[in-house]
This record gives sequence, C-alpha cells and structure tokens, in this order.
Amino acid sequence: MIHDSIIRDRLVTGDKTASDVTRDIARPILNNPSTAWKIGFTLSLIFLGIFGVSLLYTLFTGIGVWNINKSVMWGWDITNFVFWVGIGHAGTLISAVLLLFRQKWRMSINRSAEAMTIFAVICAAMFPVFHMGRVWVGYWALPLPNGFGSLWVNFNSPLLWDVFAISTYFSVSLLFWYIGLIPDIATIRDKVKSKLGKTMYGFFSMGWTGSTRTWARYELISLILAGLSTPLVLSVHTIVSTDFATSVIPGWHTTIFPPYFVAGAIFSGFGMVATLLVVARKVMNYENYITIGHLDAMTKIIMVTGTIVGIAYITEFFIAWYSGNIYEQYAFTNRMFGPYWWAYWSMMTCNLIAPQVFWFRWARTTPWFIFIMSIVVNVGMWFERFVIIVTSLHRDYLPSSWVMYSGSLTEIGLFLGTFGIFFTCFFLFAKFLPVINMAEVKSILRNRE
Amino acid sequence: MTIMGILDKKLSLRDRNKMLIGVWEDEDHLMSGASELANAGVHIHDIYTPYPVHGLDRIIGARRSKLARIAFFCAITGLTLMTTMIWYMYVHDWPMNIGNKPVRFTPSWAPVMFEGTVLCTAFGMSFFFFWRNRLVHGIKNELLDIRQTDDRMVVAIETVNGMDEKAVLDIMKKHGAVEVREFHNGVQTVL
Repeated sequence: MIHDSIIRDRLVTGDKTASDVTRDIARPILNNPSTAWKIGFTLSLIFLGIFGVSLLYTLFTGIGVWNINKSVMWGWDITNFVFWVGIGHAGTLISAVLLLFRQKWRMSINRSAEAMTIFAVICAAMFPVFHMGRVWVGYWALPLPNGFGSLWVNFNSPLLWDVFAISTYFSVSLLFWYIGLIPDIATIRDKVKSKLGKTMYGFFSMGWTGSTRTWARYELISLILAGLSTPLVLSVHTIVSTDFATSVIPGWHTTIFPPYFVAGAIFSGFGMVATLLVVARKVMNYENYITIGHLDAMTKIIMVTGTIVGIAYITEFFIAWYSGNIYEQYAFTNRMFGPYWWAYWSMMTCNLIAPQVFWFRWARTTPWFIFIMSIVVNVGMWFERFVIIVTSLHRDYLPSSWVMYSGSLTEIGLFLGTFGIFFTCFFLFAKFLPVINMAEVKSILRNRE
Repeated sequence: MTIMGILDKKLSLRDRNKMLIGVWEDEDHLMSGASELANAGVHIHDIYTPYPVHGLDRIIGARRSKLARIAFFCAITGLTLMTTMIWYMYVHDWPMNIGNKPVRFTPSWAPVMFEGTVLCTAFGMSFFFFWRNRLVHGIKNELLDIRQTDDRMVVAIETVNGMDEKAVLDIMKKHGAVEVREFHNGVQTVL
C-alpha cells in the first residue's frame, strides 16, 4: 500500500504534474535565450578569450612566463588543477553516493552537478597538460609503443596513476551523464519544433520510447554505474593526494592526505553546486524544483565536510609536533606564521570557521547568504591547495634555495580563463539540455513512502 | 542487412499483429489496470511510460536483466587486461630500475588496475545496455503516443487468435484509460 508521506516535506513544490515538469524544464530549450543567459554567456566568452590569450602566450613563449622556479616548481598551475578536480567531485557524489543511499532530493540537482563535474575536469586537465611545457609530446604520458627501445611509462608513479584516474573519471562521468540524459533528450525530441532540433535530439535520444523493459534495465545500469562511480570518485582524489603524499617533502608526506583530500573535494564541489544552483533556480524559475529543502541539505553537507577538513588541518599540526621531526615541525610552523600566513589564515577562516554558521537554520535556508558562503568556500579551498603546494615548497631543506613565489599575470589569466571554459560550457548546457532530470523528478511528484 | 535493420526487424511494432493500445494519465490507475489485464491472462507486449514506474516490469513478466553478470564479466576482463599490460610493459618487455625498487608485482600497480577495471566495466556494460534496448544513434523511434515521453502512459497488447478484444478494452476503460486505440500496419484508430 502506498501512502503520501505526512512526515517529509515535498521534494517538488507547487503541485506540479508531469506535464508541468516537462513544460517548466524544457522552457529554456524550446524558447529563445533570455537576456540573463545572453549576458552570462557573453561574460563567459570574454573569460574564455582571456584563457586563449594566456594559453597562446604560454605556448609560443614557453612556461618561463609562469613564475614557477626551481624551488616552487608547482605553483598556480597545480593549485588550479587540484582546485578544479575537487570541484569535479560533487557531481558524481550527488549522482552515485546519494543514489546508493536512496536520497531522493538529489534528483533535482544531479544533472547540473554531473555537468559541472565534466566541465570542471576539462578545466583541471588543462593545467598538468600545459605544465608539461612541450604539450605536443603529451602523449608520452600514455603507455604507447615508442621509439626509445620501447621505454614504457612508470607504473610506480602517482603522476601516471593520475593520467589513468582522471581520464577514467572523465569518461565514466560522461557516460553516466549521457545515459541519464537519454530519456530527457527523447522528451525534448518529441516537443521541439525545428527540423534541426528534431534531427539532433532524435540522433542523441537513440530511439528511446520509455519501454518498461528499458526502464528496468536503465535503473539497474544506473545502480551499477553508481556502485562503480563511488569507489572511482574516492580513488581519483586519493590518487591526486598521493601526488603529494608519496613524496618526501615535509608538509606533504602524510598519510592523512587521501581522506582529507576527498572530504575537501566534496566540500568544494558542493560549494560550486550551491553557487550555480542558487543563481539558476532564481534566473530559470526552478524554485519549485530546487527548493529551500535542497539548499538546506546541501549546506549541511558543506558544514560536515568543512568540519572534517578543519579537523584534518589540526591533526596535521598535531602529528607534525608529535613526530618529533624538526623538518615537519618547521613546515607547519612556517605555514601558520611564515611569509604566507595570510594564505593559511584565509584557508582556516573560509574552510573551518565560516561553514560553522550553517548550524543556524536561517543560514541554511537563506539563498543570498548561501550564495555568498559558497563563494567563501570556493576561495578557501583554492587557498588550501595554494597553502599545501607553495608553503611546503618555498622553503626546502637548503636555506640557499628558499624563494618567494606569486603567480604571474599569465598564470592568473589562465586561472580566470578556466572559469570562462567552465561557464561557457555550463551556459551552453543550460540552453540545449534539460538542467533538471525531468524523468526522475516526475517519479517523485507524489510524496510517497 | 545493417545492424539497424536487424534491430528494427526484430522489434518493430509495425511487423507485429494488431495491437490494442490503452493510454493512461495516472500511474495508480495504470497499475491497477495492468494488474487486472495480467491476472486475466492477457499478455502485455509492453508499457511505455515517461518515467520509471516500479512494479510494471513484474506485471508484464519481464525477466531479470543479465546486466549485473555482464558487468562482472567486463570487470574481470578489464582487470586481466590491465594486469597483463602492466606486467608486459613493466616486467617483461623493458624493466626499469627506478630507485632500485623491485620490478615485479607490487601494490603500486593497484591504482591503474582498478581504473582499468572500472573503465572496462562501465563501457562494456553500457554497450550491452544500448544493444539490448535497441538504443542506437539515428535509429527510428516508434512512439505509440507523442506524449509517452511527457505525461502519458501507454499499454500495448498484441492480439492473438482467440483473444476477447472487447473484454480487454473494457478492463482498460474500467481502470481509467483516457483513450483506447487499435494499432495495425502502422495505422492507429481510436476506438
């Protein structure tokens, strides 16, 4: 017997019917773009242009135009790489982990979070690839037969693990996203009027009819892909953390890195999801689908993961002291009170202290405040990677090689430019594909238990 | 014959006997109608819905999918392929002395083995999913109702000799079907 729940709040408000869902979600696709979309897309293209100019300058001059040097050989580039990979984790987390936990509130936000994952991983991949310097021989990172006596890649290196992890993560996320999109693309196919639209959506809907047998297999494949993606998403950031943790640099050589990086990735990913969705729900009139309840749930996750990250920061300090290793102790004292103290305290303030405000219900349910807090989280997580990378490298074992580092204009341009890539992709996605999973949302219109 | 041709021929609705179509707008009414049809011994060819309605697969007697077994098979294949690849490159073909670390199976192979396993499983299983469901880029879709991907649910029953068609239609109407139709040789007639 099925009952309407009297305990839980409705996941979709406004007494929507299945037909209303199609009409509301497909509106931006079937109509001409709004002014807000045009302004946002133009701004994104400007940033994309900044990326293009910075990248061409780097390519034609060499990575000497970045301020990285013999001590700080990883600077803004790897900071940005880890920043974007981290952001790319929330999508799979929302789709996969929350699906396994049967959290139905994920249904309104999983599509855009998955899209965000894919775009963020594209942004992330830019940095290690172009940091190679001679990007045209980038394929050397792949295990291909070659002309050097068939010298293969080093399978003991975390950098190679990254090549496999990031490419697998990108491919599987794209597949997961696409399979989830097929029923909705079919809905658009049957609504769109233009011939080109019918052809394109028809091509990508792969003849979807909504057969019960197909739905049964679709739900099973979603479940298995979620089961695969969950360890995958954990493995990716674990592997990114081993880029640091398997080295012997004081400040990096710690076993806490994998769980701490994964928690940080979820934290920053949800930060970015909140940034996008608080705006999208207002601009696209999706307030009945992405409700205050959704924002409440997301901010709770931000608070929990922010606290985990904060505890990890404190644990690192304790272990550095407890180890009795003077190099470790110096690395951490230098982080807190050295020349980059401002970066460290920005990180602590944004990541540990600021999210504690979400203990208060008002903070969790006020969209404009959540938007500001999500920016604070993103800033804090960028500083976390900057602190880990730069403060650990700029003073190494030999005081003669101590240097200071700050990003050059080109490095800053590349970082800002990746926001151009990210938002250009996101605006195109919002115009041509349904931002909310229509099929799944239709299945939760009745508040059943 | 092309792959699409084979798939089309195998499952096309046009090449089947006359079909009786019932259209619903409410999933509860659909469930009760479909249950009664199944209990009356009517073989339901398929039910088309805009979103997954749990329980319908059991009503139409759909068999449990083999996807999980296929996934396991793909996982074992991926794991074997990756392990063999690393062993061939790293131990057999060109052993490298890096920091005097042993050139043999070590836990440091695990990440690449794992990623390869996941990649192979995800894509192998998805390929099977697309194949099994006749999901091919560019294939012609056969909709019995243009709104079956929007808000309507369509029950398709293939007629067989001796079937009491009137009784079937009566059950559909009794359980709130908003429309009943007949589909024969690609032509639909409202009844």
